[in-house]
Amino acid sequence: MTGALEGSAAFDPVIHKPVRLRIVATLAALPEGDALSFTRLQDMIGLTPGNLIIHLRKLEEAGYVSSEKTRNGSAPKTTVVLTSQGRAALDAYTRSLRDLLNL
Amino acid sequence: MNHTSDAPTAENGGDFDPQQAAALLDQTTQRARRTFQSSPPLLIAFRAVVVLGAFGGIWLSVRGQHPYTGPQGWAIGIAYALVGIVIGWSSVAMKRAAAGVSGPAQRAKNLGIAVMLAAWVAVYVFMAALDHAGASHAIVFGLYPATAPLMIVGLVAAANSAGREDWMMAGNCLAIALVAMAAAFGGPVGAWLIMAIGLCAVFLGTAAVTVWQQHRSVVQP
Repeated sequence: MTGALEGSAAFDPVIHKPVRLRIVATLAALPEGDALSFTRLQDMIGLTPGNLIIHLRKLEEAGYVSSEKTRNGSAPKTTVVLTSQGRAALDAYTRSLRDLLNL
Repeated sequence: MNHTSDAPTAENGGDFDPQQAAALLDQTTQRARRTFQSSPPLLIAFRAVVVLGAFGGIWLSVRGQHPYTGPQGWAIGIAYALVGIVIGWSSVAMKRAAAGVSGPAQRAKNLGIAVMLAAWVAVYVFMAALDHAGASHAIVFGLYPATAPLMIVGLVAAANSAGREDWMMAGNCLAIALVAMAAAFGGPVGAWLIMAIGLCAVFLGTAAVTVWQQHRSVVQP
């Protein structure tokens, strides 16, 4: 396990966090280009809105997700989409995991 | 996104080892696949039971007819009731899976459904035209309704799914169309039975592949 922990230094630090990995993996299950509403993502991840926003901001800064705010009648609606850069980062992360775990 | 007051907890944002990461990635992906799946395996398996009941019921009502007159009312009633239940369940499942989802693939999917419905209507309009032209009962109330709707709609749906690169759905729809093509050689009575057994097998196979897909590991090749 020590070797595995040492190897974890090679992982993308933006994705290699439990919550952010769950966010990226959830968005990656959608077809490319499709967006998920903030509220549905929050339901699926099970975080408070504030906590989710913090992690989304980190992912957005890395260019892995983009969010869009629209108005649905009087209520604002935020949608989140995994960018192609984010999808590529998850693929690279998965490959690193495979290599490290010798799968 | 104005709320920034909640600090991430160690559990939410802390580091973790690669094995935990692999397990979490698999678990999250599998859960997301199940959540976004508009046709869950149980619904697909139910479709298998429905086609067996609907087409099989019609076959029971027409077997031994000389000359062929067409399905009896009770069989048509059972078929419509079963199809109605499937449509209702499918609508609820699709709505649940698509809640909060938007984008090009979702729009293409909705457009595909509209095209399929149009193809379905066209098939029945043509059936009326056949009857109007004086085609025999064996064609208008046998061979044609047993095979043509699913042959044509299956091919339309397969083309649409291939356009969206949804290969699983494309394969499923193509298999349905192929069963209908084979059934067309079964004659007005045999076609109903071939459709019942063939479609049941296709749906059971699809349900099994869907279960496998949902539980397939992302990390393990």
